[in-house]
Amino acid sequence: MPDNWGYVFAAYGLAVIALGAYWRRLARRAKSLAGPGGSE
Amino acid sequence: MTRALGWLAALALVIGLGAAFGYAPREAVQGNVQRIMYLHVPAVLTAYLAFALVFAGSLGYLFTRRLGWDRLAVAAAEPGVLFTGLTIVSGSIWGKPTWGTWWTWDARLTSTAVLFLVYVGYLLLRGMVDEPDRRARYAAVVGILGAANIPIVHFSVKWWRALHQPSTILGPEPSPIAAPIALTLLVNWIAFTLLFLYFLARRAEIARLEESHAG
Repeated sequence: MPDNWGYVFAAYGLAVIALGAYWRRLARRAKSLAGPGGSE
Repeated sequence: MTRALGWLAALALVIGLGAAFGYAPREAVQGNVQRIMYLHVPAVLTAYLAFALVFAGSLGYLFTRRLGWDRLAVAAAEPGVLFTGLTIVSGSIWGKPTWGTWWTWDARLTSTAVLFLVYVGYLLLRGMVDEPDRRARYAAVVGILGAANIPIVHFSVKWWRALHQPSTILGPEPSPIAAPIALTLLVNWIAFTLLFLYFLARRAEIARLEESHAG
């Protein structure tokens, strides 16, 4: 069977984008709720 | 503590990625496309863990009426939906070159899609109810009923004729997987679990802040 690297990189690439986006979303929500000067 | 968990998860993910592409051998039958397994299987196992915690949090809330249990449930549900989505997408991408199709109404795929939709519904329901105790009560009922789908997803490949292969881990027989492949899978499973625990801690803290702002 051919290696189909394109499928492998598509799967991992989408996972990195989705997990990274959720990571950022959580950070933004925490920051906005903590208020000015707030940290995690 | 949470920040340290985040860094630990990031490190574990890098190690897992290195193992998936640098240590695990090229699979003899499928070739390199099998490397999607190191993403697909840890994602679904993490989703099982997340929804088991939604179940525990839901039961805990209904028995005690303490909002801390509800925070656990919602903090687990969001990443659970994310990891289930990753399972479906990575499985679909893996399915195209190996099965010749992106999607088929196979028992495993269909039950996983139902699992995904049930917990998307769980999150939508939470968004529709403003009063915290009523929201927690309604969500807890869905969280408990939704968990019934976890064993259906897992055992679907045994109970029905399916295109999806039977479980090679968490199955009744000893796993036939070669040691380097099993080790790579284990490393990625640990990495995904750490990442989930990080998401859980962050999301629970956000839920606590939201409650203190609302109250």
